[in-house]
Amino acid sequence: MNKIKRRDTLPYKMITPAMIVTLAIIFIPMFRTIGYSFMNYIVYKPTEVRYNGFENYKTIFSDPLFYSSLKNTVIWIVGIITFQFLLGFITALLLNKRFIGRGIARSLILIPWVTPSVITALMWRWMYDGNFGLINQILFRLGWIDQFIPFLADMQLALPSIMFALVWQGFPFFAIMLLAGLQAIPDELYEAARIDGASTSQQFFRITIPMLKPVILTTLLLRIIWVANSLDVIVVMTAGGPGYSTYTLPVYSYFKAYKGMDFGYSSALAVLLTILLMIIVSGYVRNLLKEER
Amino acid sequence: MKKTFVFIMVLVMMVSMVYAQGGKESEPEVQTVKFWYHFDDPETALNPLIEKFEAENPGIVIEPERISWDVYNQKLLTAIAGGYPPDVAQVKLWWQPQLVEMGALLPLDDYIASWDGKDDIYDKVWELTKYSDGHQYYMPLQMVILYLYYRTDMFEQLGLELPKTREEFLDVAKKLTRDTDGDGIVDVYGFGIRGARGGHDWWGTFVLSSGAQFFDEDGNSGLTTDKAIAANQWFIDLYRKHKVSPPTTPSDGFKEIIANMVSGKTAMTIHHLGSAKTLEEALGDKISAAPVPMGTEGAWTSFGDEENAVFAATEVPDAAFKWVSFLAEAENNAIWQKSSGQVSINKSNATSDADRFLKATTDSADFAGVLPAHSGTAEFVESLWPALMQQAFAGQITSEQMMQQIEDHFSE
Repeated sequence: MNKIKRRDTLPYKMITPAMIVTLAIIFIPMFRTIGYSFMNYIVYKPTEVRYNGFENYKTIFSDPLFYSSLKNTVIWIVGIITFQFLLGFITALLLNKRFIGRGIARSLILIPWVTPSVITALMWRWMYDGNFGLINQILFRLGWIDQFIPFLADMQLALPSIMFALVWQGFPFFAIMLLAGLQAIPDELYEAARIDGASTSQQFFRITIPMLKPVILTTLLLRIIWVANSLDVIVVMTAGGPGYSTYTLPVYSYFKAYKGMDFGYSSALAVLLTILLMIIVSGYVRNLLKEER
Repeated sequence: MKKTFVFIMVLVMMVSMVYAQGGKESEPEVQTVKFWYHFDDPETALNPLIEKFEAENPGIVIEPERISWDVYNQKLLTAIAGGYPPDVAQVKLWWQPQLVEMGALLPLDDYIASWDGKDDIYDKVWELTKYSDGHQYYMPLQMVILYLYYRTDMFEQLGLELPKTREEFLDVAKKLTRDTDGDGIVDVYGFGIRGARGGHDWWGTFVLSSGAQFFDEDGNSGLTTDKAIAANQWFIDLYRKHKVSPPTTPSDGFKEIIANMVSGKTAMTIHHLGSAKTLEEALGDKISAAPVPMGTEGAWTSFGDEENAVFAATEVPDAAFKWVSFLAEAENNAIWQKSSGQVSINKSNATSDADRFLKATTDSADFAGVLPAHSGTAEFVESLWPALMQQAFAGQITSEQMMQQIEDHFSE
């Protein structure tokens, strides 16, 4: 009796500290955010803090800046993930080949990924600089442009420019994860396929892709969430500008909270972003499970 | 049973540790004053000053904490909302409405009344830092006034005179904007406008001097009058129509503005004493300064301020006041300005051998102004102005739409 009881409760005891920490640093802030989103909560107006029901959400749905930020968020996620994935996949395939210096190449490829975001952002900001920037210098000397391009000061170019920097920063993650997946595919499969006369492209689409699928789906899911939430690079590179052209939902929410000090509205934006992400993710996971069966 | 007991003990210890962090220490002998500041280099002035203060005031310990400028305001407000502000912090005038509204500040009137140093601070500084409710919450620390930087060598080369009015200024800026090596590309721009956060001072110089005002004498908005809209249009045109400012203007912040002056990409810009050292080191006597040109209705330039505030939640108000008043005394304030590169608030620190940058500063004192004491000013500066200005520069919104949105913001 005693023995069984001990076995039953010990695991709970052991995870309790971890649970307390998780509760304290994730769930409490999360629930408070949801609570704030139903409040009129402007930090510098403590006397006017009160619940106001769905007022914040109503305002959001008639806020043009919300829709433009949402549009930018979609462009942001789709653009970055697509290019990061393609570039990462190609890199993984290359790194999976045998060549001299492969070990070094595999380590070097990680540099963008291990560079802190703020450094990445500052670095790219100066490379894009419209007066002295490296990129402009190169394009100019190649004779491709006859005027320096103010990448980050241009409404149309600012968002793609930041996205390019983020593609650079994030593709090694895909490369490394997919490379690990590639290495787990047994050579016998390819050998058997070759004996059966399968072409290279057949091998790729019938063996490589299906075998990599779990890795692809998991890494895509992780990156969608991370990229959707990332705002540090935007904040450092353009602070949402010029105008509102690089406002994504997290950036908008961040500025509302910390420049406008409007915690209520900002929380409502954050909750909406979470709901949108949850819809995407739950659809995705359901699909994933269906495929598994 | 024993294990459960141990487990509970561990939990109790963890909880009590968490609470101990938040608890207040109550040692009567040593009073600790937590002080927040936001500049980079504590070695030049702050650390020596703390040493001096602690030697003169045994029993008081200053605990300085550097907070990055980019997040300073938000950290301060959230610390207050969270209930744990510092005892003393460096503050700006345009935060005062929010801080007063939060009840975060300790009025210093009584302390100042019995403080010997009060008469050595310029009357104008007391006047500008007094809050509209009649209380003095801020203790002045340093001041600075924005002026026009210009390249003397380029002016000489082109035979230009210092512009006194905005028309002369535009004319000079157009002449300075030129292709110096004949490759068809503009190499020098007449005027470096800061189009990113912080650029409202550039904007104010031309717009607030030509008929626009945040509030008129009756407290009504003066931002959407015909004159105000035209003044804003004139400023937008500097970039859009006359192209006397570099194409990067909408994203140019402080670093870019100064880098452009240093490299000779721009021939004029607006800033204050804080950048004089950098520019003089790079350009020598090719750089000089003068008061900003007048608008159609007079002149306006930004009074850049820095004060210290004591927070209402402090448990050591006497020690906190000792520290802020210590920094405002002539001898110590002079040391402080060594690291800030700005102007002392003390009459007795005024020097007769002022250099050209300090002269441009004092010459501008009569028309230096501040942004309105309004709780919306902080957001205007931090995010609204840059977003609107950049949209106007891109032609996405008109001058009128921009001014209307600013008016709406301040009437909320």
